[in-house]
Formats: sequence, structure tokens, C-alpha cells
Amino acid sequence: MPIVVHGVELSIGSAHGWNQAYLEMLDSFQSLWPFVWHSEHLGFQTIPDENGTTLEVGVPLPVPPTREAADLIADRSAEICGRYGVPFLLENPAYYIADVPSDPEIGDDIGLICAIMKRSGCFMLLDLHNVYCNALNHGINPFATIDRLPLDRVLEIHIAGGASRDGFWMDGHNGSVPEPVWEMLEYTLPRTPNVAGVVFEMLDEFAVRFGSDAISRELLRSNEIWNRCRAS
Amino acid sequence: MAFLDVQTALGRLVRAPDGLDPLRALQLDESERASLKRIAQSAGYRFTVGVQRSWCVGRAARAGYLTLSTFPAAVRSALLDEWVNSGGGTSSFFAAEGDALLDFIANRLPDPSHELTLCRLEQATQRANDGAIDFRAPDPALIDHPRYLLRRGRRAGIVKFYGEPHHIMTALLESQPLPPVSRQPELTMLFGPGLDGLCRAASQSELDLWERLTATVDSRSLMEEGHRPEDIAALFITGVVEHAA
Repeated sequence: MPIVVHGVELSIGSAHGWNQAYLEMLDSFQSLWPFVWHSEHLGFQTIPDENGTTLEVGVPLPVPPTREAADLIADRSAEICGRYGVPFLLENPAYYIADVPSDPEIGDDIGLICAIMKRSGCFMLLDLHNVYCNALNHGINPFATIDRLPLDRVLEIHIAGGASRDGFWMDGHNGSVPEPVWEMLEYTLPRTPNVAGVVFEMLDEFAVRFGSDAISRELLRSNEIWNRCRAS
Repeated sequence: MAFLDVQTALGRLVRAPDGLDPLRALQLDESERASLKRIAQSAGYRFTVGVQRSWCVGRAARAGYLTLSTFPAAVRSALLDEWVNSGGGTSSFFAAEGDALLDFIANRLPDPSHELTLCRLEQATQRANDGAIDFRAPDPALIDHPRYLLRRGRRAGIVKFYGEPHHIMTALLESQPLPPVSRQPELTMLFGPGLDGLCRAASQSELDLWERLTATVDSRSLMEEGHRPEDIAALFITGVVEHAA
């Protein structure tokens, strides 16, 4: 059975250095179970302390969209592509902190993704629920966001459910895919010529309560959209 | 823009507050400082801090599940708060998080106590289980290799039960009061990555050997002190004892 790997610990956007232990773990994993491609979140979750020792933040944070960040992450992505010899995908994140300091030439998170893709040769994991979260939380048109992305670089799409909490829509992976995200999937699939799969994400702690029938419904609907959009 | 310094400021803002100025000793211009101060007053920042807190508590609660379940809810909550306030709960590497959390809790428990036994049991199980993933039994001929000293295995442990283990576990599962603590251990368990099932009862001579290995020592000295070569070999090939690096 083909395997793809989805990581959360690389911290590819940390200015002071990425998570070397994670890469070593991935080396071991690949030697046991070769994977078709692997992906990571575009974010950072470590910072240096005053002695230069790595501190974990405990939650991924949005990378300041700057030229320096784009070049750093693009070079690291290219290095990863060479290290594993399979495609490497970066996932667009959901974020709740807005307006982090940026360079005008990069602008925002989407500008950062475009700059990285242009320089690195890596691919994209397009998480439509993250696009939806950011659209709701920051007043952005999700379809305009999709149109700005390098869609020919998308190999994998994620859909998921979330929840409203303290005035924010949270990427919780805890329930049904919201109707607007299904619409976004229908919009995106015909525009992503190289996409190879759609993943419905759910955290294991919610799966039992959500139930196998409900999970089947999400998968069947996803499959039906895939067949319809990819056939046209 | 000072990319590293802006990141460091954002990370400090979101991590557990340490009472210090998060922008201290960073090379930031006025516009960057103003931007970060706006962020620190925003709803999105407060939400992110809430998410970080709940993730850290959740990670810690999963990493020390057995031990934490021995405490009343208020004690459990206070321990998790103290751990997260000290910067704990941030690592998604389960083994590292669990080991550090269980040391933190163990240092707050009376010795001996059933709670401490269960804490060390959970820690020893996690260590042995983690070590078993890539454990390869070493060649016993290397035990007395002149280049190496012996030490306690980093993925091994000893757990002493001050009561009948079945009674302790049954009381825990049924939310009944734990039985009285005996004056002497009623059972001593040995944990190691190469043991069948990761653990077994320890013999007195194995326990003596483990106690001796608080510092590194060569195998010849151990045998001169009366430790049995078959014990040394049995613990060496199961990772309970290992070569010091």
C-alpha cells in the first residue's frame, strides 16, 4: 500500500534552525516504510532562548511574510527534496494572529507561499479548511485566496471540520466538513491539474463520538465530488 | 526586517508568561515594536494563547495519564497548571514530554507511596517501550570490552511495589482508596527494552547490581565485588545495563 507522511514538528520556518531530530526520525521511517511524498505545515514553533538553546512554543505560529523567510524556507524545502528523493509538500496554515510584521514585496501568507514555491520546486498541500478558517476569522474571500495560489503545484488537498470558540472559527478536526468547504473543494479540483488525493482530517479523540457512519458520509461525498470534478 | 527577532518576540508572547518583557534584548525597530504591541492586545493573540495553553495541558495529560489518574481532579489540575506554567507541555515528542513530566510529578510525591510507584511504573514502561522500537540485543562478548564501562540502561528502570500490585491496580480501576503502604517492597519489577513484555520480576542479585550502577563501572570490578556474571550478561543483552558512551 502506498504511504504518504504528514508531519507537524519540523518547524521549517524557524529562523534559528529547524527540528533536526524530526528529520532523523523521518530518515528512519523512510528506511522502514518508503513513502510516495511527505508534507509539513508552513509555520514555526521553536525560538531560541537567551543562550541559543531551542525553546518549543507549544503551538505553530504564522511565519512573518518576508523575503528572508521565503528564501530560508525555499532553500530548506529544496534540501528536503534532495534528502528524500520524493516530492515535498508545504501546507498553508490556519492562523489567528493577524498582521504580523511583513515585507511589502511578500505581503501576506499567500504571498509567502507563492515566493517559496517559485524558488524551491516543492509542492503544495492545500488545506481548504484552513483557507476557510482564515477567511472567516480575518474577513478574506476564500475563493480569491484560492485563485492567488500556485494551483499547478497542489498534489494533496485537505478538508476538515472545526468549531466556533471565543469568536473564532477553529481548525479543530472535530466534525463534519462545513458546506462552504465542500463548495471550495468543487471550485478547486478542476483547477488543480496535478492533485493526487483528498484527505478528510479528524483527530482520533473525536472519531469515536463522530462515528463510522458519519465518517463514511464525508468520505463518500468527497469521493463523489472527486469523480465528478476530475471527470469533467 | 529582523526576522529572527520578530519570531522570537512572537514565540515569547505566546509561551507561558515568565514575567519578563517579551521584547527584551531584541533588535526591533519602532514599527516592529508597535506592531508586536498591537498583536499582544488583539483578540487573535488571546485566542492563540488559549489554544497553546489547552494543547500543552492536553499533551501533558496524555503523557502522564496513569499517574495523573491517581489524584483527585483538583490535585491533577493544579499539577498540570504548575507544569505548564513552568514551560512544560510544549513538546509533541511523546517520550520526551512524558519522561520530563513524570520526573516533575515524582519529585512532589512521598517516598514510598503507591502514587510514586505508579508514576515510576508509567515512566519505566514508556522508556522501555520507546527503547524497544529500535533495540538490538548487543553481543554479550562485548560486556568486558576494555574500552567501555557499564551503566544503567537509559531505557530501563526498577519499580518497587509497596503492596500487592493487583490490589493497587484494582483499587485504582474501581476508584477505591489505595491499600496501605507496606514497610518493605512486596515486589520489585525490572523494565528494559529487550525484556519479553518489557518487564519481569527482579531477583535480589539483579536489584543489587542495579543499585551498584549509580555510577559507571567495568564488568571486572563488578565480578570482583561478587556480582554474578550471568546477571550482568542477562541485564546487558536486554538493555537493562548498557555501555556508557
